[in-house]
Amino acid sequence: MARLVVLGGGVAGHTTATFAAKWLGSQHEVVVVTPNAKWNWIPSNIWVGVGQMTKEEVTFDLAPVYAKAGITYHQAKAVSINPEGAESSDKPFVTIEYTSADKAGETETIEYDYLVNATGPKLNFGATPGLGEGSQLGEHTVSVCTADHAVHASEKLNEAIEKMKAGTRQKFLIGTGHGMCTCQGAAFEYIFNIEHELRKAGVRDMADMKWISNESFLGDFGMGGLHMKVGGYVVSSKLFAESLFAERGVDWLIGAHTSKVENGKVEYELLDGSTGEEEFDFAMLIPPFAGVGLKAYNKAGEDITDTVFAPNGFMKVDADYTPKPYAEWKASDWPRTYQNPTYKNMFAAGIAFAPPHIISKPMKSPNGTPINPTPPRTGMPSGIIGKAVAHSVCDLMTKGDSAHLHEASMAEMGAACVASAGKGVFDGTAAAMTVYPVVPDFEKYPGTGRDTDYTFGEIGLAGHWIKHILHYLFIYKAKLNPGWTLIPE
Amino acid sequence: MVRNVIKYPTPLSVEYATDVRVFDEKLFALIEDLKDTINENNLDGLAAYQIGSYYNVIVVKDGENFLEIINPRLIGHSGSVETQETTAYYPGRSAFIQRFESISIVYQDRDGEDRTLKASGDLAILLQRKIDYTFGATFIQKMSKEDKERFENGLDIGAGTTSSQTQSEYCPRTFTRDKILLAANIVTVLLLLLLIISFFISDKSFIFTSQLYGAGIVVLLDIIYFFYAQYEGKKYVGCGSCQIGNIIGTVAISFLKLSVVMGLSYYFLGSA
Repeated sequence: MARLVVLGGGVAGHTTATFAAKWLGSQHEVVVVTPNAKWNWIPSNIWVGVGQMTKEEVTFDLAPVYAKAGITYHQAKAVSINPEGAESSDKPFVTIEYTSADKAGETETIEYDYLVNATGPKLNFGATPGLGEGSQLGEHTVSVCTADHAVHASEKLNEAIEKMKAGTRQKFLIGTGHGMCTCQGAAFEYIFNIEHELRKAGVRDMADMKWISNESFLGDFGMGGLHMKVGGYVVSSKLFAESLFAERGVDWLIGAHTSKVENGKVEYELLDGSTGEEEFDFAMLIPPFAGVGLKAYNKAGEDITDTVFAPNGFMKVDADYTPKPYAEWKASDWPRTYQNPTYKNMFAAGIAFAPPHIISKPMKSPNGTPINPTPPRTGMPSGIIGKAVAHSVCDLMTKGDSAHLHEASMAEMGAACVASAGKGVFDGTAAAMTVYPVVPDFEKYPGTGRDTDYTFGEIGLAGHWIKHILHYLFIYKAKLNPGWTLIPE
Repeated sequence: MVRNVIKYPTPLSVEYATDVRVFDEKLFALIEDLKDTINENNLDGLAAYQIGSYYNVIVVKDGENFLEIINPRLIGHSGSVETQETTAYYPGRSAFIQRFESISIVYQDRDGEDRTLKASGDLAILLQRKIDYTFGATFIQKMSKEDKERFENGLDIGAGTTSSQTQSEYCPRTFTRDKILLAANIVTVLLLLLLIISFFISDKSFIFTSQLYGAGIVVLLDIIYFFYAQYEGKKYVGCGSCQIGNIIGTVAISFLKLSVVMGLSYYFLGSA
């Protein structure tokens, strides 16, 4: 019997572990190590953040689901990896530290035959002074990155609404809290959901709303923008976003690196080198992501973190990490199997793998500050990668080391995204977009690098219904209810 | 080399623009072509998009000099101003557009070096219009929904164009005939409503008779539509030959809807 250890229980980790457990049956063991007791459908956190859903609606307990699937579950965070084992044994192992109430702080080692690193990111609030400390959210802003953060954001939003009802104008600042953030989509959804709720509450005229983002143009979304076929016309996501912002009366500040956060004020630097300040009463600023800080040691106990992980803390996989200029970026730089090049029994999935470079055009201010979105690896791509990695590991475990590895390159993968712009059965709106491929392939598709036949979008009520249906569908799937394998990633 | 400036109604030959990644002779030749075309046509500036290149390149005249702007991004903006603008894509037409009063852009020069430029007044407005082109938009996308409709309708009937080609060679997206069809559909829905109402009232005698009159109106409207649609279609040679197929199909669908409503009405009310 061989053992697969999956670090992380988010979209990528949960997909890997559950499919592996199903395909391996009782022949082999699947272990999940995740610090969270609950699974969270993160895309719906924005609805928790505006009080339209409860935390309970977007989360569920992992323990019973893993018990049902025959997965061994440790509520703990991974601390380090010893891919060569220790002096006493060649068997590789991970060191974990429990986070559950009964065993908090206790450490343990778990040996593995195969390891999938799907830890997701560390929410690096500490990267921007005043935004927070380490991975802890600070006191000046709110966040929707976790369900608990979203509950807190909703409370603060209610306070702001009450102030507006009492006649005090409020300034809302939503966007990215650093020049190297990803997940602009979540902030985009949040600002328009807030705008929608303010209109419902009858206080929209008392609110000034501003978007702040590290994108070099509205609608970049960390993917260098996209060209969508809307009603037979090809429209750039820039125009699509600009018209939505104008229509909803939301001002914007782009190409911005948030350099400091204080009580009611942020300082920023723009791509043109200018600096400025923006005041706020309510701010939701997405933090940059970093690796979770896993360490790696060799057999002799020497630190080999630099060998296993990229400088940003994400795990190196089969990508081409050779530094090269934008002009030479190729689709083939992107990983296909997500196998660690040094230790072949280690894989990384979802946000945890180190991308070879960003997707958007690299930009920096005249002062040298890099201000550009980092690549999104969330949602659909995470799930698809997680499943491909599960396939590969299962084949390696059942067919031996010569098994063919499954591939899921983001440069050959399409993704669908439904961005909510307001929740409501009859007055909701969402922008539904599909993009193919996620990473542009300039050789195959000269011009934008994407196939416009498969890259399209539409905004409207139907999009909202799709988003709402997907909420139930993916939670149903994650709970491993009957027929879960039929639901796509 | 002077290149053709794409003008309405010819669709812009590329549907989108993309950032320049390689700064080579090909790019320099494109910039020279833009300059030649600007001089030849006495324009104030051109986006590469307007001469059929998908690269994100703009050349504008700043006095006697040319500004070569590659991969521009509009970063800062302040103030708001309404301007009356013209563009080479819609010759002879102008429109009132809301623009930022002053802007700050970042771009690359022909050596690939990052540059910044602050502009206000006419140059700011010109740059905004050209940057829109690089993202695939004409100034139509900057208009309010109502202005956009008005402008597009003006284009449909050829108002303001320098030749009569729009009238004859372009196939409009909205036809007057659609209004006849709308009327027929509304009457059909009313007939269905009458049937539903009949389930809730006791005196149903007048309902089926009213429906027969209504059905007559729908048939009449469909006949008018059938002949008028063909007449309207022939006004535009740009409208494909599939027009007649569409018209027959549309009338058939209208008859089918009417038949379903009247069939049900006959079943429930006709024998009463």
